[in-house]
Amino acid sequence: MRILIIEDEAPLLERVTAQLREQGYAVDTAADGRTGLYLGQEYPLDAAIVDLGLPDMPGIEVIRRWRAEGHKFPILILTARGRWQDKVEGLEAGADDYLVKPFYTEELLARLRALIRRTGGWTQAVLHCGPIALDTGAQQVTLDGQPVEVTAYEYKLLEYLMLHAGTVISKTELTEHLYQEDEDRDSNVLEVLVGRLRRKLDPDRTLNPIETLRGRGYRFRLERAAG
Amino acid sequence: MHSFSGRLLIAASVVLAAFLGLTGLILDRAFRDSAQSAVQDRLQAQVYMLLGVVDVDAFNRLTLPQALPEARFSTPDSGLYADVMDAQGNLVWRSPSLLGRALPFFPAVRDPGDVQFAPLEAADGDPLFLLAFTVSWEVAPNHYRLYTFRVAETQWNFLDQLWSFRRSLWGWLLAATGILLAVQGLILRWSLKPLRRVAAEVTEIESGQRTELSSDYPEELRPLTTNLNALVRQSRTLLERYRNALGDLAHSLKTPLAVLRSALENGATPEELRQALIEQVERMNRTVDYQLQRAAASGPVALSTPLPVAPLAHRILDSLTKVYAERALDLRCEIATNTVFYGDEGDLMEILGNLTDNACKWARRQVVVRAWPAEDDRRAELVLEVDDDGPGIPSEQAPLLLNRGQRADPTVAGHGIGLAVVRDLVEEVYYGRLEIGYGTLGGANIRARLRFQANEGRVVDHQ
Repeated sequence: MRILIIEDEAPLLERVTAQLREQGYAVDTAADGRTGLYLGQEYPLDAAIVDLGLPDMPGIEVIRRWRAEGHKFPILILTARGRWQDKVEGLEAGADDYLVKPFYTEELLARLRALIRRTGGWTQAVLHCGPIALDTGAQQVTLDGQPVEVTAYEYKLLEYLMLHAGTVISKTELTEHLYQEDEDRDSNVLEVLVGRLRRKLDPDRTLNPIETLRGRGYRFRLERAAG
Repeated sequence: MHSFSGRLLIAASVVLAAFLGLTGLILDRAFRDSAQSAVQDRLQAQVYMLLGVVDVDAFNRLTLPQALPEARFSTPDSGLYADVMDAQGNLVWRSPSLLGRALPFFPAVRDPGDVQFAPLEAADGDPLFLLAFTVSWEVAPNHYRLYTFRVAETQWNFLDQLWSFRRSLWGWLLAATGILLAVQGLILRWSLKPLRRVAAEVTEIESGQRTELSSDYPEELRPLTTNLNALVRQSRTLLERYRNALGDLAHSLKTPLAVLRSALENGATPEELRQALIEQVERMNRTVDYQLQRAAASGPVALSTPLPVAPLAHRILDSLTKVYAERALDLRCEIATNTVFYGDEGDLMEILGNLTDNACKWARRQVVVRAWPAEDDRRAELVLEVDDDGPGIPSEQAPLLLNRGQRADPTVAGHGIGLAVVRDLVEEVYYGRLEIGYGTLGGANIRARLRFQANEGRVVDHQ
């Protein structure tokens, strides 16, 4: 998941960035409105966290411009002033949720996960597809109720595929959304990861949860469970 | 021009000057005309008199007697002159008073019965009025000749009269202007006195000698003074609120500080210290949050325009629909269109936002926001009500929720202060009441009753 954080308060930005990376997110950062606006326009984001009080350009303005240009990724606003007037203004500008400073990182993560899930069309914290269930809160995967051991990278990949279950996702899209700029982006690594996931989720090769569409990418093909 | 008296004085002076000037000019003109026609009549009479004494001599020539009825014709330089011309323009007779002078050549001989009258200047520069009268004289039976009788009089008399008239006319007009302006100045001073009094009273309020403007002002000023009083009251309440808030803040931070200090002094273990820090930081944060939100309240804005409640409620519901998108709540508004709020928009948002957000947190599916106007004892009131279908709030828990900084939902950070903030806003800022009960949806019903200051003009105007 690729997240952009625009926050001018350096210690807070560092802390949140570190915690998000720890959770397996690819994080881009900006310390002022203009840079943030540009990153949001150029990068394929899964979500953005925008502080309202920014130098250069107010957060509200950044959000308005993104929305005016048709960017659809979910936006979470951070505000030091807990006034309803500010919250409503932010939400009306195009944000999807707000968080009042100071906040607990746990809460930020929960809100972020909820926003990303919502964008993928999921309403529950646990994504069910056939016998496979992925708990976005606990970051655990189960197959027929039995826990499946997955590495952090495998989890990220599976989460992305399941969030977008039913749609074809190209390798480029996957690398863009899953990897940090400076990481190795060899597409062979992706193939290896998909292979390992298949072995773990489909040991007897009857389920075939992830299908490969030659030249187009991958698709998580199991039906989403209702609810 | 930066003063009323200055403006009025200038305007009045201009109008007065124009009016009196015009009056003067008209009177002057009228007097001049009537004086001139009096001169003309007099000269005409002289002509008739001359005609009366005309005789015809043996050669059919016109003659006038040596002794004329008007002595001035006989006295040289008397100022009254006459001569007679025949049809060819030859002088037939001239009055002895014309000794050594001649009347200016005017006018040419006209038809019999013609009268011509004009101011003219004599050869030596004397201004004259001259009247010429042409007659056809029967010098012999059936033998007629044209003669022009001319009578002239110096204008000196006339001019003297005119100037003395003008002197007294303009003198009186100036005196009248002066008196009128003076009277007007006095009237102005008298009518503007209340304004000076307002200024003086405002200065007294500034210096703390008085708390409000007195109420016995003229009708035109009363809206101003009433509104000024409202402003003064508002700023005083605000000041008081800020002072209280500051005091509250300082006091409420003292407790956690004391706890921390005692933990330090009692030689607690690092783990205990850490625990104490976590607890007290959280407590301080809550306090600061609460006081911040309280401080943000503006209170009833004096002279505020009525703010329709429905659009604002819709904005809040739309925003909350977004925030609670996952839970697919059914958020509804039941607000009469004429429901208005007198005060700061931010305050209303704070009240509605917190109440509705709180209801959304507890609701299973449904939240209804209602608002309607009420009136009590000539004071405008507004009732805001939020119902949800959640578990409701047991009556023994209600006071706890309304306590300062008490958290309604401990698992959701930063929101517990909502109800307490609403209570403060409603009860301390809008002199109303906040009640917690059970609603028609089966869950909690929170009702805020706001009262607005009975400011005569305001309540009556917008009802």
